[in-house]
Amino acid sequence: MSNAFQRTACAAALAALFGVAYAQAPAPAAPAAPAAAAPAAPPAWKQGQPDSMKSSPLAPHPARLTETPVADIPLAKFKVPAGFKVEVWASGMPGARMMARGDKGKVYVGTRAIGRVYEITDKGDKRESRILIDKLTQPNGVAFKDGSLYLVAIGKALRFDGIEDNPNVQPVDFTDKLNLGKEQHHQWKFIAFGPDGKLYVPFGAPCNICTPPEGYAQIRRYNKDGTGGEVIATGVRNSVGFDWDSKGDFWFTDNGRDWAGDAKFDDELNHLTKVGQNFGFPYCHSSGTPDPEIKKDKPCDNVTKPVASMGEHSAALGMRFYKGDMFPADYKGAMFIARHGSWNRTKLFGYDVVVARASADGKSAKVTPFFTGTIDAKENKFFARPTDVMLMPDGSLLVSDELNGAIYRISYAGKAKAAPAKDGKTKA
Amino acid sequence: MILATILVAAAVCEGCHGAGGNSTTAGTPSIAGQPEIFITNQLIYFREGLRPSPIMEPIVKGMKDPEVIALAKQFSKSPVKVLAEGKADAALAKRGNALIATMFCGQCHLPTLAGRDQVPRIAAQREDYLLATMQAYRDNTRTGADTTMAEVLRGMPDEDIKALAHVLARKK
Ligand code: HEC
Ligand code: HEC
Repeated sequence: MSNAFQRTACAAALAALFGVAYAQAPAPAAPAAPAAAAPAAPPAWKQGQPDSMKSSPLAPHPARLTETPVADIPLAKFKVPAGFKVEVWASGMPGARMMARGDKGKVYVGTRAIGRVYEITDKGDKRESRILIDKLTQPNGVAFKDGSLYLVAIGKALRFDGIEDNPNVQPVDFTDKLNLGKEQHHQWKFIAFGPDGKLYVPFGAPCNICTPPEGYAQIRRYNKDGTGGEVIATGVRNSVGFDWDSKGDFWFTDNGRDWAGDAKFDDELNHLTKVGQNFGFPYCHSSGTPDPEIKKDKPCDNVTKPVASMGEHSAALGMRFYKGDMFPADYKGAMFIARHGSWNRTKLFGYDVVVARASADGKSAKVTPFFTGTIDAKENKFFARPTDVMLMPDGSLLVSDELNGAIYRISYAGKAKAAPAKDGKTKA
Repeated sequence: MILATILVAAAVCEGCHGAGGNSTTAGTPSIAGQPEIFITNQLIYFREGLRPSPIMEPIVKGMKDPEVIALAKQFSKSPVKVLAEGKADAALAKRGNALIATMFCGQCHLPTLAGRDQVPRIAAQREDYLLATMQAYRDNTRTGADTTMAEVLRGMPDEDIKALAHVLARKK
């Protein structure tokens, strides 16, 4: 308990007692005849809700903005396949979401509601974190390239050059380069650099379901400095995760529309095989189901279908290909995908990490559970929200949990222990 | 030790927010019976500078999470009193109740308007505060991490906001 807090609080109360803050305000005067009904639009996440669901109490789950003590993290409940082990790697970071690793091993973590970006320093047997920057609007997207941390919040793009060597470096604002637009909804970003050295940035549809305004429901890429913006995929409702396979192909998760019942629509895993492909939104969902409201002739023509369903309302977010050596051979080249978990579904679904193994032709993928034990199905309660996954140089996998503000490390113990060396390379 | 200091803090809050969190101070909201998550979130928005308030910001500055949670727990359990005086104006009540029904306020705030999780109780809140805070949402001056209400109230005329504040303040 801080004494400083008591002092400021008491001072404020005294100020109030002495009438510094207030004068008695008159009660609002009664107006004349009421005006016409206000045609307020429903909030973006509620658009497309049919009359049959008008009394549905479903709403996005609240974020937890306070620190979860390590002892309250339900680690013992989590399940991973035989031979794997899960441990708390870092904690005490409310709202921890997307992760990026610097060249020298610092890990950067974006958030949404709490407006912070954390920086984690690995001290070997423990991790220390600090708030690198705060007061931003949903600074979800983080990526690291050539010594610089890139950060994209809603309506803001910042770059911290040489951050790992100079913790106090002032960010360079490159917002004007990206043409981020005015919309807010679905504009919290996942960002990453491709093998082409370009920065990939999604622009979600600013609604649950609508004909998107120009420049939205697409994924773009830019040169490192933010110039040369180019649309690489259209018809993408809201992607919050992507990665490249060993051939350099781009794969991404996409969240399906809400308010169509528990069984509709699927979240998707997609594979881009040609720049400019259209993935269907808002006319065509899942593997070819037309939208019930936004209609057009032949809605699914020229639409690239998903490679796999990620399940209805599962909120498939961060994904990474496994390119490490620690896990058994059949994980090599497989995708780990974090499913944040459903809100627009009466029965909870997702809240886990799955593995997706693509077929040789890259046209389909088989999805199996990996990190589970996060739901009490009987009570319809959840106690973790996996949000992103990231590969470590030693081949272990980090999983961020937004609910508990923690990052877990999943390692494979079926083999001789591979301890991470100081230089970040795996010891033989 | 922690418990004792929280009692001190809660007494400080009551200096403005009223006994048990039922406010009799102009412009200061009642916090009695608000959902625990709602109180926690708002205190954190104030602390992090995400919801601007020259009054609340210095009060929560440097406050640690466990204190925030303890205060939120305490006030969420405090019984709610309807403090609005006088009978509702018939025309305002008619208008306000119609808006509550057609704009589905109860879907998020629950049909009782008592709130849940991150959604506040709006029944029995102070009329002047409801009026000011709804205008602030509409005019985008009450910000925070949650943009829901700015969208709900976008473009609503003052007369409608007045009618809503008038009836909500008088609901149990
Ligand atoms: C000096 C007077 C004062 C003191 C002391 C004070 N508050 Fe406040 N509080 C206010 C005012 C005024 C507002 C409204 C701010 C606004 O809307 O701009 C407010 C807003 C709030 C809100 C948001 C409520 C809502 O409905 O949105 C919460 C929660 C809150 N205070 C809790 C507390 C707690 C807990 C304490 C004690 C630690 C406390 N306050 C101490 C004056 C005070
Ligand atoms: C889609 C869900 C939703 C609907 C519909 C909705 N609200 Fe809200 N309301 C919220 C949320 C969430 C908050 C808290 C936002 C925040 O943190 O600032 C809130 C906050 C408020 C507050 C602030 C109360 C306080 O103590 O600070 C008022 C007043 C309010 N709503 C009134 C209304 C009215 C009146 C209606 C109907 C016209 C309505 N709301 C409809 C979700 C909703």
